[in-house]
Amino acid sequence: MKRTGSRHYTEEELLMHFLDEGTPAAGSEISVHLDACDECTAIMQEYADLVARIQSWAVPEVPEGIWQEKKSILLAQYREDRGSGKQRGFWGFLKQGLGAGWNYALENPLPTLAYIAVAIAFALERTITTFRLDRILPGASEVFEFLRQVF
Amino acid sequence: MSRGFAPDSLGVMDAMSSPQPDEDLVAKTLKGEEDAFSQLYDRYRQRIYSTVYRIIQDAAEAQDATQEIFIKLYRSLSDWNPQKAKFSTWLYRLATNHAIDCWRSRRRRHETQNPDDRKENSRTEYSMGDAILTPFGALEQKESLDRIRRCVDNLPELQKKVFLLRYFQELKLEEIAEIEDCSLGTVKTSLFRATHSVRRSIRRIGGLQ
Repeated sequence: MKRTGSRHYTEEELLMHFLDEGTPAAGSEISVHLDACDECTAIMQEYADLVARIQSWAVPEVPEGIWQEKKSILLAQYREDRGSGKQRGFWGFLKQGLGAGWNYALENPLPTLAYIAVAIAFALERTITTFRLDRILPGASEVFEFLRQVF
Repeated sequence: MSRGFAPDSLGVMDAMSSPQPDEDLVAKTLKGEEDAFSQLYDRYRQRIYSTVYRIIQDAAEAQDATQEIFIKLYRSLSDWNPQKAKFSTWLYRLATNHAIDCWRSRRRRHETQNPDDRKENSRTEYSMGDAILTPFGALEQKESLDRIRRCVDNLPELQKKVFLLRYFQELKLEEIAEIEDCSLGTVKTSLFRATHSVRRSIRRIGGLQ
């Protein structure tokens, strides 16, 4: 086994060296060490094999026809958005926000119900009394009373 | 002969064959020039799709997510500041964040799904690459790719993004740090941890010496 006087490098340092992500100075030091150290060379080799294996994970090909079809839909949407001025502005932002909120509610019905329950609880008479909302919002009790009669 | 799988470099080749810089295309897209937006789409669609696919791990959903990313792209294009980040960096940030959101919804759906359906949906879509493998070698490679996929799926979000951007988009770590808006040290640690997890997972089947 080859021996070296310098310290062994950590696996992180070896991986970064393999990926060519270290500084040039550190890189040349590690290269010198690797020439003399079987142990670190073996770890480096293992990372090289691993990265090759990782990169063999390919992606299913999408036929060109599908890309073109999707592009047509996308460009039509782009034209429509530009035409209606949806791209920017307060109303576009508001609509987008409400849409996102609605999507969230559909995906997370229980937390949404919980938020609604908290909001209703906040409007309870006790809350009005505790926080003395009557002083801030005259008529809050009457509104609550009306809601209680309705529901 | 590849078996129905495209290399990630396709998008890169598209980019190389197009002489117009991204900045020009963005400016034209903002002015309403459809052709410029169409060129941006052609230039980046494959790279975005391949990153999104590896996060979501479902081809149809990855295609839909790619489409949504491009819609988000033109709607928020005016937010891009060329002084702060390259266009591709900004686009990758948009894409990986959207893909992670899709992956979260998909995971939530799967958690509430019947176990039999889940098994069916998680059927693997692999590439064995172009190498000619013995039946044993092919089986081993299939098993190791399966482990890589599962391991990547279970990585924490930042590790997953760093891992995919480094190994498949071959971005430099500094660029990834910019995309993820974190320090280079954090990116290095995340990449190492992610790679180490995958290595441990493959080692269990004796895939590495």
